[in-house]
Amino acid sequence: MTVPAPSPHLPRSLRREGDFLLIEWSDGWVGRVSWKRLRDECPCAGCREEKNQPPDPFRLLKPSELVPLAPVSMPRVGNYAYKVIWSDGHNTGIYTLEHLRKLCEPVSSTQP
Amino acid sequence: MRPAGGPPPKISLPDIRHVVAVASGKGGVGKSTVAANLALTLARNGGRVGLLDADIYGPSIPIMMGIACPVDQATTPLPLERHGLKLMSIGFVVPPERAVIWRGPMVDRALRQFLTDLHWGALDYLIIDLPPGTGDAQLTLTQNAPLTGAVIVTTPQDVSLVDARKGLEMFREVRVPVLGIVENMSYFVGDDGKRYEIFRHGGGRKLAEAAQVPFLGDIPIDPRVAECGDVGEPIVVRHPDSPVALAYRALADNVVAQLANTSEPELPEVQF
Repeated sequence: MTVPAPSPHLPRSLRREGDFLLIEWSDGWVGRVSWKRLRDECPCAGCREEKNQPPDPFRLLKPSELVPLAPVSMPRVGNYAYKVIWSDGHNTGIYTLEHLRKLCEPVSSTQP
Repeated sequence: MRPAGGPPPKISLPDIRHVVAVASGKGGVGKSTVAANLALTLARNGGRVGLLDADIYGPSIPIMMGIACPVDQATTPLPLERHGLKLMSIGFVVPPERAVIWRGPMVDRALRQFLTDLHWGALDYLIIDLPPGTGDAQLTLTQNAPLTGAVIVTTPQDVSLVDARKGLEMFREVRVPVLGIVENMSYFVGDDGKRYEIFRHGGGRKLAEAAQVPFLGDIPIDPRVAECGDVGEPIVVRHPDSPVALAYRALADNVVAQLANTSEPELPEVQF
């Protein structure tokens, strides 16, 4: 019987840099992910279901969708994930550390 | 993408030194019995201890602790005190014959209220008796409460070990330190002094080795455990020198030792 160990990659620091979230990981690798991509990859049940639906040709935009979308804050969830609070109030996506690591693109020469 | 209201605030328990979840993947392994007797043993060793029954759908702590329910909150403030422990359970406020039929958000709200609206005072240990499985109560607590660690309870059979492993993996995934595994109903000591391994033996230790977590101990099976639970006087109180009570002393020592070694670094805050 084997039980896998948890992911060894922990964030050392996270900060907003313009259109990106920059993450420095405990293994020294530095990655970044755009806020747009974070929102597109929102793992919440509602967003996942929406992605699987065909586009609605008659969809009306809500007033909150007419202004540019921006992250408002990014609190910790327990000790294993973060959630993004968006300017339109959406806040149900929980991004685990593994998910964030996968979404990150390299900004330094070190590869993950 | 659905807009929604603000997230509920994280639960802060600054006056409680260690918050320990007692969990199992499977029901019926004696998790509430282990939680209650562990809490009582920690209290008997001089600790200030609370016991929170987080099993909203099937609370066991009221009967085990001999509390007539529902309690009159006008005369009995919650958490109430019994056997040197501070206690809270949904069973204290809901008549025993009434079923609690709630979806997850209600369970979340109840647990938050139990943790934040009650005056627990300063505690060394708050033991949380979780319901079986990896559902709403577990998620609420691991996402919002400052858990120091989790104790996983299993019985020796494979059918229990498989589910214990799932519980263990859940805590690992959410980065709550697993303090170790307890094998309950591990063996029976007969009147002849011989040891009988009724449900086999050693599965808990094997799981602990495979998962590279500490094995915290094995608790023998004793019919008096059930009798004591049913009359509201747990075995470590009623028979403090029994083999079961001695096993709980060893378990409590091991849990305290593991708590002293546990340090999971907090995630950094995002700089905006």
